[in-house]
Amino acid sequence: MVGLLKRYRELILVCLLLVLPLGVFFAHAKHPSERTRLDRVILALTGPIEKAIGWTISGAIETWNSYVGLRGAHARALALQHEATALKLDQLELTRAREENERLRRLLGFAREVPDRRVVGARIVGVRLDPKGLQLVTLDRGAREGVARMMPVVVAQGVVGRVHAVTDTTSDVLLLSDRNSSIAVRVERSRARANVRGTGAPDTCRLEYALRSDDMQDGDVLVTSGTDGVFPRGLPVGRITGLKRSGQGLYQRADVAPAVDVTKVEEVLVMTSFDRRTDEAVPAAAAHAAPARTAAAATAVTGVGGGEAGPVPAPGRVTAAAEAKP
Amino acid sequence: MKPVFAFAAALLLVSVQAALLRYLGGGAVSLSLALPVVVYLGLFAGNVDGAVGAAAVGYVLDLMAGGPKGLMTFLAVALFLGSRLAGAALSIHGKTGFAVITAVGAFLFGVGALLLTRAVSPVETAPGFGLLGRVFVDACLTGALSPLVLLGMRRLDGLFAREEPGLLR
Repeated sequence: MVGLLKRYRELILVCLLLVLPLGVFFAHAKHPSERTRLDRVILALTGPIEKAIGWTISGAIETWNSYVGLRGAHARALALQHEATALKLDQLELTRAREENERLRRLLGFAREVPDRRVVGARIVGVRLDPKGLQLVTLDRGAREGVARMMPVVVAQGVVGRVHAVTDTTSDVLLLSDRNSSIAVRVERSRARANVRGTGAPDTCRLEYALRSDDMQDGDVLVTSGTDGVFPRGLPVGRITGLKRSGQGLYQRADVAPAVDVTKVEEVLVMTSFDRRTDEAVPAAAAHAAPARTAAAATAVTGVGGGEAGPVPAPGRVTAAAEAKP
Repeated sequence: MKPVFAFAAALLLVSVQAALLRYLGGGAVSLSLALPVVVYLGLFAGNVDGAVGAAAVGYVLDLMAGGPKGLMTFLAVALFLGSRLAGAALSIHGKTGFAVITAVGAFLFGVGALLLTRAVSPVETAPGFGLLGRVFVDACLTGALSPLVLLGMRRLDGLFAREEPGLLR
């Protein structure tokens, strides 16, 4: 017996290396286990390498843009000055609208505190959009900066994903395009509810649990409803495309073009605290009068560089028009 | 090649890959730079060292993929065996041959991952066959870049290879 084992030890080892991982996979497939200490240590080793490469490439690009790319800077500066002037005018108009909004809100007696919203700015240092695994990006902020699992990750255009795993200095974000990601949404126009699930491809998601009787159209904007307990309500998620309403069945099917092109995002905001009220929690009357929340009001941002940064655009404002619908 | 070097090389390569993909398309396409390491082990390493090294690379891939553990480890060892068989059946010496076998291996690896994930996932989260296109592009890019990994692995092997005393000494 021992002789047989010795004779075939290489074959036995290879068979074990095949069978054991497969057994582990099938055992953990339904209930994925948490990362062990060893896993976290090994993952932490990759963080500095990714950061170092990122810094090197960013540094080279910035150097190029700063010195070599100065040609035409004067013309660009003039164009930007014109744009800034136009934006200032827009800002004045917005300020007036906000003041009017505040007055109306007070008149209606629905004035309410704008909830604190805290975000941490982070830079993407690693991209893992592998079709064989999860759709992840790695951020250069981790538990030390207050990032924790399940926190929403957004940019000004809308939802990027949620924090999936955290080390001290980095965190992995599960993108909305991942097939395990499901976000509760509402159609901004009709307030119909559904879920948006990823497909594994970065440019397409699909609509789930959209009732056939619900009012939906191609091009409708989808915003988070806040009912999943992860995302605050009102963040843009995407647009309905390719709506198919079959003659039978409970649900209609559609694709969703994400509001955020995850392949082009470089910096993101991790929402470390936000208003957890859902659409259901907002009284209908209040919803009619709810104004667009402005970003500057109560958003505290820890900038990408680590310091306090300026206000960020509040994705919540998108719902303002939608909430006026019955 | 010692398994620990394969493990270190895989860890370095997946980090470099994640960092570089941010600038090269931002994830619109993907590649798997650790797979050429497994193919290299299949073609040039010993049975035990190679198999353990392939499992170590698979473990790194499992960690990076973020899914249930074991899938990538199993597939990496299977790829190691496949490469070994291909190496025995065909004469693969040059970079082109290495690139072709890596591309084929990476494609089969991806298809295997999709099928096994489909087998255990609930219907709503199961990966669709629409991802095969991305897997194909992934495999082609991996194959195209694999000669660079081959070069690096040969260097690494050269650093730690011990000169056997000749018969005439």
